[in-house]
Amino acid sequence: MAFSTVIPTYENSILLKKSSFNGFKNLPKAIPCGHFKFLVPMKTKAATRVVSVSCSSVAQPLKAAQESINGILPKIPLPAFPFQEYMATKAKHVNEALDEAIPLQHPLKIHDAMRYSLLAGGKRVRPVLCIAACELVGGDEAIAMPAACAMEMIHTMSLIHDDLPCMDNDDLRRGKPTNHKMFGEETAILAGDALLSFSFEHVAAATKNVSPDRVVRAIAELGSAVGAAGLVAGQIVDIESEGKQVTLEDLEYIHINKTSKLLEAAVVCGAILGGADDESTERVRKYARCIGLLFQVVDDILDVTKSSEELGKTAGKDLISDKATYPKLMGIDKAKKFAAKLVDQANQELAYFDAAKAAPLYHFANYIASRQN
Amino acid sequence: MAFSTVIPTYENSILLKKSSFNGLKNLPKAIPCGHFKFLVPMKTKAATRVVSVSCSSVAQPLKEAQESINDILPKIPLPAFPFQEYMATKAKHVNEALDEAIPLQHPLKIHDAMRYSLLAGGKRVRPVLCIAACELVGGDEAKAMPAACAMEMIHTMSLIHDDLPCMDNDDLRRGKPTNHKMFGEETAILAGDALLSFSFEHVAAATKNVSPDRVVRAIAELGSAVGAAGLVAGQIVDIESEGKQVTLEDLEYIHINKTSKLLEAAVVCGAIIGGADDESTERVRKYARCIGLLFQVVDDILDVTKSSEELGKTAGKDLISDKATYPKLMGIDKAKKFAAKLVDQANQELAYFDTAKLLHYTISLTILPVDKINFVGLLLYKIYLYPSMSSSLGLKI
Repeated sequence: MAFSTVIPTYENSILLKKSSFNGFKNLPKAIPCGHFKFLVPMKTKAATRVVSVSCSSVAQPLKAAQESINGILPKIPLPAFPFQEYMATKAKHVNEALDEAIPLQHPLKIHDAMRYSLLAGGKRVRPVLCIAACELVGGDEAIAMPAACAMEMIHTMSLIHDDLPCMDNDDLRRGKPTNHKMFGEETAILAGDALLSFSFEHVAAATKNVSPDRVVRAIAELGSAVGAAGLVAGQIVDIESEGKQVTLEDLEYIHINKTSKLLEAAVVCGAILGGADDESTERVRKYARCIGLLFQVVDDILDVTKSSEELGKTAGKDLISDKATYPKLMGIDKAKKFAAKLVDQANQELAYFDAAKAAPLYHFANYIASRQN
Repeated sequence: MAFSTVIPTYENSILLKKSSFNGLKNLPKAIPCGHFKFLVPMKTKAATRVVSVSCSSVAQPLKEAQESINDILPKIPLPAFPFQEYMATKAKHVNEALDEAIPLQHPLKIHDAMRYSLLAGGKRVRPVLCIAACELVGGDEAKAMPAACAMEMIHTMSLIHDDLPCMDNDDLRRGKPTNHKMFGEETAILAGDALLSFSFEHVAAATKNVSPDRVVRAIAELGSAVGAAGLVAGQIVDIESEGKQVTLEDLEYIHINKTSKLLEAAVVCGAIIGGADDESTERVRKYARCIGLLFQVVDDILDVTKSSEELGKTAGKDLISDKATYPKLMGIDKAKKFAAKLVDQANQELAYFDTAKLLHYTISLTILPVDKINFVGLLLYKIYLYPSMSSSLGLKI
């Protein structure tokens, strides 16, 4: 593929690997698109001028879209697994644990602010991935729950800080007013700090029946995903890139750090706590890297194709703010193909594990690729 | 004392304890004052109006002040201990470790911002306390160093965030422009986040030759000191209190959480990492609580009595912003007496430990801001040591 030459080796670069696949046949070659509205493909580079969007968009009926996609992409028969139910149940457990971990207490304002954002909804992707990875390698939900909560706390704090006026300046998040809109900027900053700190404390203090050395490893892993070699690094490069020419390399760096690394930490911490050996840990790490990048590619595509209402957050912002995105850099079609390639690679890593235990993770990759919000 | 009735039990409330003191005799009863400009005592409560300050200040010559202090404070014979050297050496090691822990790397801007604030100077009180506590219970500096660095990273991140426009809105810190002034608000926020996160990562990843369960305990301790039951709690209540009537109880809550808890964590983590048993850990914890509150009382007093230049940060802000402070609530004299009482209590906890090792705890006294004019609350020092110690420390807030 033409664009593969500009993507740097992200360790084992996803697009450059050609390892043969032993597991499922009939791999999908693109994301099952569902309900996309088709826009004129944007082939402009991330530039200093606002990208103009043609208004001659055609909304294709859902059926027609699926048929055209299915024409290109043979479906993968995923193993039968009650994925929706699994997600719902695990998310419910996570919500209960989060609610319990940060009860309303003095000082009320800060705990209110923390809970407001933490319990605002959200798919709980990271916590559930953490639990799933733990179960994949033989652990159980209870062992992973504090770490799973920590993932969500960190994710939440990054959203709170990202939404601040001096950062992305967002008014809406998950369909509600952002934290600083509700509580003021100072409280929002402090709520983020408190969540970040508590996440580490929680893993250390609340993880039971796990050897301390594994807890220490998990904490080190989590820290590396969040700081100036992780989340923060991605955000700072993203901020610096606004309005400038951004290569695919920069974009990949941003997304890997902003999104992928925390997903990776969720999965790897789950595996560590569940008792995984080194080989297993590295396999799930690679899986996570694929779905991490996938998450953002799809997010970019959705931002172009969905309305604010459907997304629950301010859509079209990337266009307005002239941020670099995959559709901008590659065009929508190639972005979708890239996404498909990532799913492919993710599946290859999972092939190492027992298919039944890996079922949630197979479905996860598929879910991330085909989500609508 | 009259004001003891309004101070709530902070677990074992400092002022309500009456345990007898077995260690050193001849305890001083007030803070050696040094070179104060005397203002009209401010007896107003934290209120919605700006407190007016009398301009009839009197600068007393150093010698005269020292003599008057000597009348109040009987001299304490101090065991010989190369205190200055100890502080300087430990701080140097900490600085080297910090420099190594966060090297300049991609992305440059964020690492530059982190290093700017982290390596801007400062007394390194918390890291050195951490190391000293570790050594006190039989550990060594190397074991405690990652945790010691973590303390400073957290302290630094709290300063970066506190200085932000929407918070305290400070332009100066440690004599230099604040982080957001140098790098912009977004970078300052992110630099703080990165330092906070890295502090935990560092303890987990870099602590060697310590059993993992102790590392886990130290991390849990650190987390509790920083979050919504610690540093953040203090800051949020402080913000909410501005312009309102604030009781001594609220003030104590603010200072315990904003300042004392991190000092406590520094000492307790050092002890845990050094291998302390539960009794020792609790003793040093209580000690730390005293000096933690003491730190802030003295800070409040200094804000009233010093200029920005001497302090290295914007002084008089508490007056202008009408924040609640100890001098405002009690008056300067009672604030000083309260400080003396805290030192008293701190000493009582230390009496538990081997006296020889006690010497290491003289550094606890450095948490009281020391400047070239030697305002100091160092009760274990002979008065005559003042000029040499403080001037050679050359320490500024």
